[in-house]
Amino acid sequence: MSNIQQGDILLEVHGLTVEVQRRKILDGLDLVVRAGEVHAIMGPNGAGKSTLSQVLAGRPDYEVKAGTARYCGEDLLALPAEERARRGLFLGFQYPVEIPGVNNVYLLKAALNARRHHQGLPEVDAFEFLTMIRDKMKLMQMDESFLSRGVNEGFSGGEKKRNEILQMMVLEPTLAILDETDSGLDIDALKVVAHGVNSLRRADRAVVLVTHYQRLLDYIVPDQVHVLAHGKILKSGDRSLALELEKRGYDWVRAEGAAA
Amino acid sequence: MSASPQATSPLAGLATALPGLPGGAAWAEWRRSALERLLAAGFPTPRDEPWKYVNTRLLGRRDLAPAPPRPLPTDSLAAAPAPAALFPRFVFVDGRFNAALSHPLGSGELPLSRFGERLEASTPGSLALPLAGDPQDVDERIRTLNACLAADGPVIVVPAGSRIATHLHVVHLATGGGAYPRTQIIVGAGSALNVVETHLSLGDAEAFVAAATDIRLGESANLTHTSLQIHGARSVLFDDVAVSVAANARYQHRLAALGGQLGRVDLRVALEAPGARAELAGLIFADGGREQHVRTLVEHRAGRTQSDQLYRGVAAERGRGSYDGRVVVHPGAAKTESRQSSRNLLLGRDAAFESRPQLEINADDVKCSHGATTGTLDEQMLFYLLTRGLERDTAKALLTYAFVRDVLRRVQPASVERAAEQRVLGRLPAAELLKEFVA
Repeated sequence: MSNIQQGDILLEVHGLTVEVQRRKILDGLDLVVRAGEVHAIMGPNGAGKSTLSQVLAGRPDYEVKAGTARYCGEDLLALPAEERARRGLFLGFQYPVEIPGVNNVYLLKAALNARRHHQGLPEVDAFEFLTMIRDKMKLMQMDESFLSRGVNEGFSGGEKKRNEILQMMVLEPTLAILDETDSGLDIDALKVVAHGVNSLRRADRAVVLVTHYQRLLDYIVPDQVHVLAHGKILKSGDRSLALELEKRGYDWVRAEGAAA
Repeated sequence: MSASPQATSPLAGLATALPGLPGGAAWAEWRRSALERLLAAGFPTPRDEPWKYVNTRLLGRRDLAPAPPRPLPTDSLAAAPAPAALFPRFVFVDGRFNAALSHPLGSGELPLSRFGERLEASTPGSLALPLAGDPQDVDERIRTLNACLAADGPVIVVPAGSRIATHLHVVHLATGGGAYPRTQIIVGAGSALNVVETHLSLGDAEAFVAAATDIRLGESANLTHTSLQIHGARSVLFDDVAVSVAANARYQHRLAALGGQLGRVDLRVALEAPGARAELAGLIFADGGREQHVRTLVEHRAGRTQSDQLYRGVAAERGRGSYDGRVVVHPGAAKTESRQSSRNLLLGRDAAFESRPQLEINADDVKCSHGATTGTLDEQMLFYLLTRGLERDTAKALLTYAFVRDVLRRVQPASVERAAEQRVLGRLPAAELLKEFVA
C-alpha cells in the first residue's frame, strides 16, 4: 500500500519558533518521529503543546518565525492545512469544533474521499462506507444517532473525543497528532479511545500523543516520551520518564533545563 | 417627519386607480379619504425610524398602479414549493384570485373565502379585522396603501374548536406593476391552522407588491404561518403582518426572505393576555444587488407572555440586509419571557448587514435577553474542516450552507423547507461544490 518502511523519518522538526499574537510560544523546538513509533509529548499547562499540534496541522494565524518542519521529506510548513490532511497528517483536536448543519457522516465521507483522491484511489462506495463507519462506531461504542447529527453538535466532551478518534480510524493517517485527547475522559472512555489508537498502530504509521497526564500512557505505551517546556523539548526518554514525571512533577526538568 | 412633496411621491397618481375596485359607495369613499391622508403623510423614507435601513429611493420611478390582467406564461408557478397534490393551493396573481392556477383539492370544508367578496358584502367598520389605522403613524402606511388598493386575497376563518389537518398554501404571483393582496386569518378558540404563503414574481418583472395580513388568534388557538419570499431581482415586496394573540394561544412565523430588488417584512405581534406566545424565526438573505429587511415589533401587553425570535441573515456580493427587532414589555406584564437572537454572515467586502435588537422593559420580574453578531465565517470551524482535507472553497461553501440550514430546518412542512433550501443553494457562492453534502 504505502512505500513507507518502519524506521523511516516521517516528521523532522528543527529549531521551530512560533509566535501567537506576537508572543513567542515555541522557541527552537526539535523533534524527530519515525514510522512505527508512538511519541508522547508531555508538559505543564501553557508550555506550547497545543501550539505545536496546531502549527503542525497548518493553523494559519500561528506565525512561524524560524525553523523547519519536514513531513515525509516535504516542506510541511509550505503546505496549506488541507494539503497536509490529504497527505495523511491528522490532528485530533483538544476542543473539537461544533458545526451545526453539517452532517457528521457527510463530512467523514468528504474527508475520506479527499484523502483517497490524493492517493489516486476512486471515491468510496456509499454502501461500503456506511458499513465501515458502523463497524468503527461499534468499536468506539458510539450511538447510532451520531449518523444523523451535525458535526459535534450537542456532543458531550467525551463524545467529541470519540468522534475525533473515529475520524482518525476512518482516515487511517500516516501521522496522527492527538492533542490532549485524554482530557476530560472518564476511565471507560479513556480505554475506548486507547483501543482506537492502538488499533491504528502499524509499521508504516506514527502517533504523537500530546498530553498533560501519564494516565493515557498506561493504555497506549509510547516508544519515546518528551518533556515540552519553555517552548522546546527539554528532555526525552522512554516510558519510565513519564512515570518519573508523574511522581516528581515538571519542575525538576525545568530546573535541569535552566542549568543546562 | 417625512415631507416628500406629492408631485415626486411614488404615491402620486394612484387616485385614478380607485374606481373599479370591489365594494359599494361607502368603501369607495373610505378609500378616497384614506388615500388622501396617506398622500398627506407620504411614503415612508429612511428618515422614519423603523425604515432607517430601507432604500425607499428605489421606488422613485416605479409604477405602483394595480397591474391589469394579462396572459401568463405556462410555467409561471415553477418556483412554488410542494407538488400541488400535497396541498390545497390558492393562487392570487397581482392580488386577484386565479381559479385556473388554484387547486382547491379536498378543500370543500375549508373555511376559505375571498377578500373581494367580503368587500362587496360589507361596509367600512363592519369588517371583523380593521384594514388600517391612521397613516400619520408610519407603521400604518403600507397597510393603508394596501387598504386603498386591495381588490382580493384569502380570508380564512376557522371556527372555535376545529383542527385543519392539511396545510393551506397561498401563492402570490406578481407579473409587473402594482399588487395589493389582503390576507385575513381568524383562528377561533382552541383551533389550529397551518398556512404556507409563497410570494413569487415573474422573471424580470418590475413588480411592486404591498401585501398586508391581519391575523387574530382566539384563546388557546395555534397558527403556524410560513412565508417563502422569492422575488426576482427587479421586483419590490413589502409584506406587512399584524397579529393579535389571545390567552394561551401560540403564533409561529417562519420566514425565508430571499430578497427582490427590495424586500421588507414588517411583523407586528401583540401578546394580549397571559399565556400568549410568539415564536418568530427566519432567514434574511440578500445577494447580488438586492436588499432584504426584516423589522419586528413584539408587544407583551400582559403578564406570563413569551416571545422567541431567531433570525439569521446572509449578505453576499453587494447585498444589503437588516434585522430591526423591538420588544416592548408593557407595565404590569410581569413574568414575561423574551428572547432575541440575530446572527448574520457577511460574504464579501461590499455586503452589509445591520442588526438592531431592542428591548423596552416597563415591568418588573421579567426575563428578557437579546444577542446579535455580524461577521464573516468562523475561522475555527474553517480550520477544522481544512484539517479534514476539504478544499478551502468547499469548506467555506459548506459553512455558509450550514449557517442557512440552521434556520431553514425550522421551516415546516419539509417540502417547503426543501424548496427554500434549493432556492438558497442556487444562490450560494460555490454551491456546486456541495453536492456531496446535500441530501
